[in-house]
Amino acid sequence: MKTTRVFLLLGLLALLGGCASSTPRMSAVRAFAAQAPQLGAYHELTERYRTTYQREQPFLSAAADARERELDRQRQAACDDFVQLQRGVQAYMQALGRLAGDGAYDMEDQVKSLGDGIKAWPDSGLNEHHVTAYAGLTRLVARTVTRPMQEAAVQQLMRDGRPAVQQVLEAMHILLTLYGKTSDNEEKIVLGMLETELPFLDPRRDRLLMALARSQQHDKRVEYHLIAARNALAQKNLAAIEQSHRVLLDQFPTP
Amino acid sequence: MADTHHIIALADSLSACADALHARLMHAIRQPAPGGQAPAISQGAAQALFENEVTLRQRANSLYLDAARLAASGLDSAQQQLLDVTARARDAIARIDRAKDLIDIAAELLSLGAAVATGKPERLVAPLEKLKHHVDALLPTR
Repeated sequence: MKTTRVFLLLGLLALLGGCASSTPRMSAVRAFAAQAPQLGAYHELTERYRTTYQREQPFLSAAADARERELDRQRQAACDDFVQLQRGVQAYMQALGRLAGDGAYDMEDQVKSLGDGIKAWPDSGLNEHHVTAYAGLTRLVARTVTRPMQEAAVQQLMRDGRPAVQQVLEAMHILLTLYGKTSDNEEKIVLGMLETELPFLDPRRDRLLMALARSQQHDKRVEYHLIAARNALAQKNLAAIEQSHRVLLDQFPTP
Repeated sequence: MADTHHIIALADSLSACADALHARLMHAIRQPAPGGQAPAISQGAAQALFENEVTLRQRANSLYLDAARLAASGLDSAQQQLLDVTARARDAIARIDRAKDLIDIAAELLSLGAAVATGKPERLVAPLEKLKHHVDALLPTR
């Protein structure tokens, strides 16, 4: 009867093991990784920055156009690099998310298929007790083998990535600020041209032109307002990512 | 980083100068010529002033670009490090996935063992095939 008791004990362990789900620390890591899509706003605003010239062009004098074309050439080249910045951070966050994944190391599927596999052979001499015991054993193996591996892998990745991630996030933050400042100047060039030319129009002769210019003025004001709001939100989200990364790292014991 | 902030500060002051210039220009445009609706300042003079404002803003934007390039440069090593770390993480994921496979295979082995225990050879075929496929699928990834 000794074996029955061993099986019973294993079954009990299995039950306990089933209750102990992923640790709170791993779910904090997953919450951090889930912020990765917010980096998309950086990409979008970089693309907007890249096309500054196209939007300014109709409002520029010939001399200003020549200067802006030269600036545009430099901007195009730089933007190819700026866009890359987010790739590394995104890959890092996605890797963390997968490492700390909830379902990834959940062995219930395996345990169940094991049970099913054995139940499929009723005349094998194995009964429910054996199935439960095997299941418990498998859960035990799953927990003791994979859970510490998971924690260790997450800690290792975060510790190794720390300086690089913080540096890149900081650079992205500066770039977002500069996109915003550049957009402010673009806005003032576009709206300023309309504002300084409109008073010289003859209300009777240039009625159509005035109507079109005023309508354009309105649309452009709305457009720049939206872009400024989007940039502010992107900076806020980036700061939140930086902050939660720091908090997460502080939770891990230093080696 | 200090250089970046210096360049940004310089560009900010150029933008501020352009703002001041624009305010002056708009003030002049709003002054009506004596006895008329038209602005006191001539359109040519207004355009020349606005051209100066645009030039200042372009200069500022050019400096913002310099600052941006400076902030993003020197990050090659950080960026590389990040990609390296992420690649290593993928290895770790592969390792853990193999532990999961190990348990999968253990389950399949046990099914096979149960099939053996029935003493009916024809029942061996299915679990054996399943295990073989599993191992075959694992090998090329190594």
